[in-house]
Amino acid sequence: MSWWKENVASRIRHYPGKMEVEKYVYTPGVHGLEQAKALKEGKILGAKCGDTIYVPPLTLCPDHKPGELVEVRGPWRVVTYTIIAETMDGRRLEKPEVIAVVKPDDAEGGLIHRVEADQVYIGMEVEPVFKPEAERKGTIDDILYFKPK
Amino acid sequence: MRPNIHVKSKVAVVGAGLTLFRRRMLETPRELAWEAASMALESAGLTLKDIDCVVIGTAPDAFDGVHLNGEYLADGAGGINRPTVRVYVGGGTGVFVPIAAWWHVASGLCRTVLAVAEEKMSPGHPHPQGVFAYIWDPVLERPLGPNLIWIFALEMRRYMHKCGARKEDIALVSVKNKANALGHPAAQAAARITVEDVLNSEVLVWPVNRLDISPVSDGAAALVLASENEARRITDSPVWVEGVGFTLDNTHWYNRELGYPRYVQYAARMAYKMAGIERPWREIDVAEPYDPFDYKELHHIEGLMLARPCEAPKLLKEGHFNRDGDLPTSPSGGLLGVGNPIAAAGVMKVAELFWQLRYEAGARQVKKPVHRGVAQAWGDLMQAGTVIVLGN
Repeated sequence: MSWWKENVASRIRHYPGKMEVEKYVYTPGVHGLEQAKALKEGKILGAKCGDTIYVPPLTLCPDHKPGELVEVRGPWRVVTYTIIAETMDGRRLEKPEVIAVVKPDDAEGGLIHRVEADQVYIGMEVEPVFKPEAERKGTIDDILYFKPK
Repeated sequence: MRPNIHVKSKVAVVGAGLTLFRRRMLETPRELAWEAASMALESAGLTLKDIDCVVIGTAPDAFDGVHLNGEYLADGAGGINRPTVRVYVGGGTGVFVPIAAWWHVASGLCRTVLAVAEEKMSPGHPHPQGVFAYIWDPVLERPLGPNLIWIFALEMRRYMHKCGARKEDIALVSVKNKANALGHPAAQAAARITVEDVLNSEVLVWPVNRLDISPVSDGAAALVLASENEARRITDSPVWVEGVGFTLDNTHWYNRELGYPRYVQYAARMAYKMAGIERPWREIDVAEPYDPFDYKELHHIEGLMLARPCEAPKLLKEGHFNRDGDLPTSPSGGLLGVGNPIAAAGVMKVAELFWQLRYEAGARQVKKPVHRGVAQAWGDLMQAGTVIVLGN
């Protein structure tokens, strides 16, 4: 165990402090709102700037103009990946989790997301798996994971 | 500008832009920054390609709820792939942003600078006031459960005692600024109110009532600054930065005389010296003192040496600081009227001087002819004074 996992506060002389901001409420923004609606419909959006589409659809193109929102269809490919063996609180995962940067062939940029596959390699073709429509909330978690195509 | 400082180039403000100031905006910080930056560029007739460097200002990251907030909104502010810095002196940031932009240009490092300030106060729940809890000393002060208004209440009471100012004298600032803001298209808290309305609004921390305080706001503001050569190519009416000043007072705010803002006076002396101003109360035509609370405007008017210590309440009552008065203050409507997205509010004040000095302020244009204006903000642990003098 690391030192910070023990309850040191009870053993040292200290002054207690409390976070007075209990939570943050982030507004989605103009493009973010459209992206949320699209995720609910099982679509992933990108921003079209000239001939190039960027994922995720951040507000601005490199020329400082807002892009046009278009659906990205893929196919997606793994650019890089990592395997999570242990969580923040020191718990060993029974089934290691694969986190990857995935990029659609028809766009620049990419997303970070879970990949569920027996075997992962760079360049592997994957596709998004969405939650059932009734459970979607318009967040990035509406995509459960990417799976091999 | 007097030749008492060596600069590679004179610096001018050539464009300004402002988003709406509102309690909660749909736009992300990045989108707000983009909106203000685009407006500023457009008003100067430039595009981002014409910009050499970018200066960004936002107050604590904890308001927007994004660490490295300056970097987070850098693409909205046009800061990607060019020299970009974010500056931060708490509430004083708004005026510090054009000051930092000034030295970027005055040093010869950049010919054109886009200066963008943004603040989104709405994400923190239950109230952004919670963020301020961390400015207090965790050992000596936080066990009392203080909030920010305590400071202002203590300071306001001290000012009232020292100067013999009454609540109704101070409330006039709120009345004036909220009325001035009626002519401001971005204003959040413009209103025609009376002194009685202020006195009858709920007491929060005595002697501070609700209408003594500026609102919680989201918003962004931007300026374009350019070297003399560039400025003369861009516009026929550049507004010159004639002086800048900034000071840091001691950190223990209650260990100083609260009735007089020394941090403003020192910063103002620096800026006036650079601008060659010896009698600011005569040579300044229009002022935008920082007014998060109504007494603060009076306090800062005195610190800026636009009135003698304790003289501001009397002059205010005589109409000296009205839009048609001898020395109009906060003709924009200030933070009390337009709103207070912290860093953006300071840039809004500098933008107001820009419009006033170009006679472009429309309904807000002051009556008298204007040649020189001063804007000021104040921040950090109640200790930072930032002052800028502009002239046409």
